[in-house]
Order: sequence, then C-alpha cells, then structure tokens
Amino acid sequence: MSNVIGYYTTQFGELWEKSLFDLVEETIFGVLKQTNLENKQIDAVFFGNMLAGVLENNLHSTSKIAEILKINIPIFRAEAACASGGAAFNLAKSYLDSNNNKNVLVIGAEKMTDYSPEEAITALSAAASGEEQEAGLTFPGLYGMMANYYLEKYHYTEKNLAYVSVKNHFHGSLNEKAHFRKKITIKDVLQSPYVAYPLKVLDSSPISDGAAAVILTNNYDMIKKQKHSAIVLASEVITDTISLKERKNLDEILATKMAADVAFKKAKINRRDIGIAEVHDCFSIAEILAMEDLGFWKKGTGGQKIMEESTMFGGGGNLVVNTSGGLKAAGHPVGATGIKQIGEIFLQLTKQAEKRQVENAKYGLAHNVGGSGGTAVVTILGV
Amino acid sequence: MISPVKVWRRQKEIRKILGKKGKVLIWTKIFTPGSDFKKYAPYPVVLVELENKEKIYGQLVDYEEKDLKIGKDVISILRKVRSSTDEGVIAYGVKFKPLK
Repeated sequence: MSNVIGYYTTQFGELWEKSLFDLVEETIFGVLKQTNLENKQIDAVFFGNMLAGVLENNLHSTSKIAEILKINIPIFRAEAACASGGAAFNLAKSYLDSNNNKNVLVIGAEKMTDYSPEEAITALSAAASGEEQEAGLTFPGLYGMMANYYLEKYHYTEKNLAYVSVKNHFHGSLNEKAHFRKKITIKDVLQSPYVAYPLKVLDSSPISDGAAAVILTNNYDMIKKQKHSAIVLASEVITDTISLKERKNLDEILATKMAADVAFKKAKINRRDIGIAEVHDCFSIAEILAMEDLGFWKKGTGGQKIMEESTMFGGGGNLVVNTSGGLKAAGHPVGATGIKQIGEIFLQLTKQAEKRQVENAKYGLAHNVGGSGGTAVVTILGV
Repeated sequence: MISPVKVWRRQKEIRKILGKKGKVLIWTKIFTPGSDFKKYAPYPVVLVELENKEKIYGQLVDYEEKDLKIGKDVISILRKVRSSTDEGVIAYGVKFKPLK
C-alpha cells in the first residue's frame, strides 16, 4: 500500500521573479526537507506539466529535474492538460504497485504569467479538439456552453453558480499559499464582466504560476519514521472524447463519474465516509457538475445545494469542499493543481491545515479534470 | 502552430458541410478569446445539430441578441475563421447565420 508522507507547495500567484524550474527546485527541496529525505533516497520522479513545451519551447523537463536533483534515476513527465498533476500521481502510484520499497517524488508545476492572457488562452486551447479551436472556443467557452445548458435545463440562474466562488474565496482567505486571499460577495461575482457567457471573471479560476510536490512511498520502515502519513486507497484515471460535442450528456462529465465509481469500489468506502474533498472548480459550474458526477449530490440538484453552504468551512456539513480555495482562489497553475489537491487532502487528514482544519475527517477525495472532461482523475486518501 | 498545409488539408473538408441547415443545441459568447480571434470578440459560438444529425461547432454571425437561444434555426456558411498566418494564408471555415 502506498502512502503520502510529505507535501510542499510554493506560493501560487503571479511569480514574476521565478522561472518554472525555480519553482520546481523550491518544491523538490521543500518536500525533501519536510520528510527528512536526501536526494539519493528518491527512486523515481513523476512530473506533471502541460504548457512548457507550447509556451516556452521547453521540453525534456525530466532531464532538467535530474540536473536539479543531481541523481540518475527514472524520471517521467505526464501531460493530460489540467489533469497533468493527477495523472502524474496516478503513474507514481502504479510505479509503486509494481516496485517494492521505493520512494517516489511527484511534482506538478506550471509557469503561465510570463505570457499575455491571449497567449496563455491560446496555449490552453491546445487541449481542445481542432474543431473547437477553429471555432474560437476557449476553455471558458466550453464550460460556458455547459453552464448555459445546465442553467436552462434545471432552471437556475447565474446567482446559483456564484455561491461556488464566494465559498472558495472564503477558503482562499484561510490559505497562505493561495493566489487570492480576498473574500468576495455574491454581488461581486454577479457584477464582474463576462468571460464566456454565462461565466464571468469571478466564476473563473485565474492564470497562475506555482508548483507542488508530494512524496509517495511503499517502504514501511520509511512510513514508520515519518510524523505524518496518509494511505492512498485509490487513484483512478478515466479518459473520454476530447470534443464536448461527442458526449452524450452535456450536463455531466462522464469520465468523473466512471473514475469515482471505480475509486470508491477499490477504496471500499461510501460517499458519506468522505469528510473533505478537493474538486476541480476551474469554473463555478465545474464544481457543481463535479459534486453531482462524483455522486455527492443528485444530478440537477447542485444549483440548489450549493446555496445551502453546507460544503463551506464552518458550514456544519459532513463534507467540506475545496478548503485550499480550489482552483478559483488558490489559483490554477495547471500542472500543479492535481498535486496541490492531493496535498491539501493530506494536510487535512494529518491535521496540518491550520486555520482551515476540518475536524474528524478520516477520508478525503481529490478530483482533477483535464480539458472539458477528456480526462478525470479521482484519488482517495485515508488515515 | 497553424501551418499553411494544415489550412489546405482542412479546407478540402469544409465544402462538404456548407449550406446545411440545423438547430442550435448550446451556445456561449466569448469575451476573452485567444490571440487568433481577438479582433472578432465578443463573438457567439454555437454547437449545431444538422438535419442529418451531424454536430458542428461554429461562430454565429449576422445575428441579433434574440437569436442566441437553444433551438434556433441556422445555416452553415463559409467565412474567414482566424487572423491570417505569417505566411499570409487565409483560413476559411464554417460559421453559421440565423434563419428567419
């Protein structure tokens, strides 16, 4: 059984003084220090990154990581758009499943703010189908389509969606590493300008820089030596069509549903056992769809459920969602996001989440999506 | 990168889907586009189901706000779809206009 034994994240935000590999280096040595490991105790590295090739003409990052770590070991990069981090974690777990007594470093990182928003948007669009790109459909546009469809089908308004962002900004205010620390109101969200109708600036996650890393091990002596550890009960990746138009239902992300079903089966726990979750809220609508597709809420009820604020820290519910601030407020350096989500669950389960510590959570779930739903990764941790 | 060859290959396919009628399945309106579409913004994008059940995306042009609705009847037309490439190749593609 693999355990997460350490987590480190850089600040997320507009980090103009730092390059992609400055951020990677900070996380590597940050997480090694936390776990009292030396570089030579790492047996393999998995790196989640989407855009360095497209934006910076910067590939073969695996070899660059070897240069930073000063070791000669297998290092792999995983790319699955915004699910690159989750995919890297999944590969790391699979690596441990077939290799005994190993320590694996999993890093996610992205450097996005060196470029204009148009350049970043164009680069992100590389994760959409050719036809979607030709129609000028951005990711806000694809999620805007899903939001528009959802609101019409279930008779909700933009106000229902706004509750997601208000909650996640409140959580971000409690997380020192978050891109945004400012609380916002429903009115702020509704008055922000449109990005892709009906989604507005404050329905959308930002373009961020950041890196995060965890150490996974299946070495029992190592686990015993550590102050903190959480068991990886399941990590499942499911893919689906890259084009939104090829999907049967436009108000669900099927890959999420399938990944969750398999993950819960493997973890041998129920939905109600989950006390803490990080779900992929690249846009407000995405958190509502995620809560439904993960099986926490019935399809079509999310617009109402989110207004009850039961998933807000201190809201009195049994499941608190996106205590990191989610992608919305913690920021969304795409390759780093999946690792930050798992890291946040680790912090919560091992009682290291400080101001935003949720009481009595024994199981946590992280949900990472690539593109408009072409990849979904669901990870369940327990203590 | 959009190579002229890619534009040429794509344009051989486009003629097959011109002048087709269909209905809007979903729509959005893009206010913050990527670099190649900056000069068109804001622009609506629709997903249309053609009469033969084929689904096609495209921008909606020559429209009024009231045309932005699910079920709207539209027809596919040929239009320039991106700003010109560095090689000066004009990328044509499918857009839609509303039917009365």
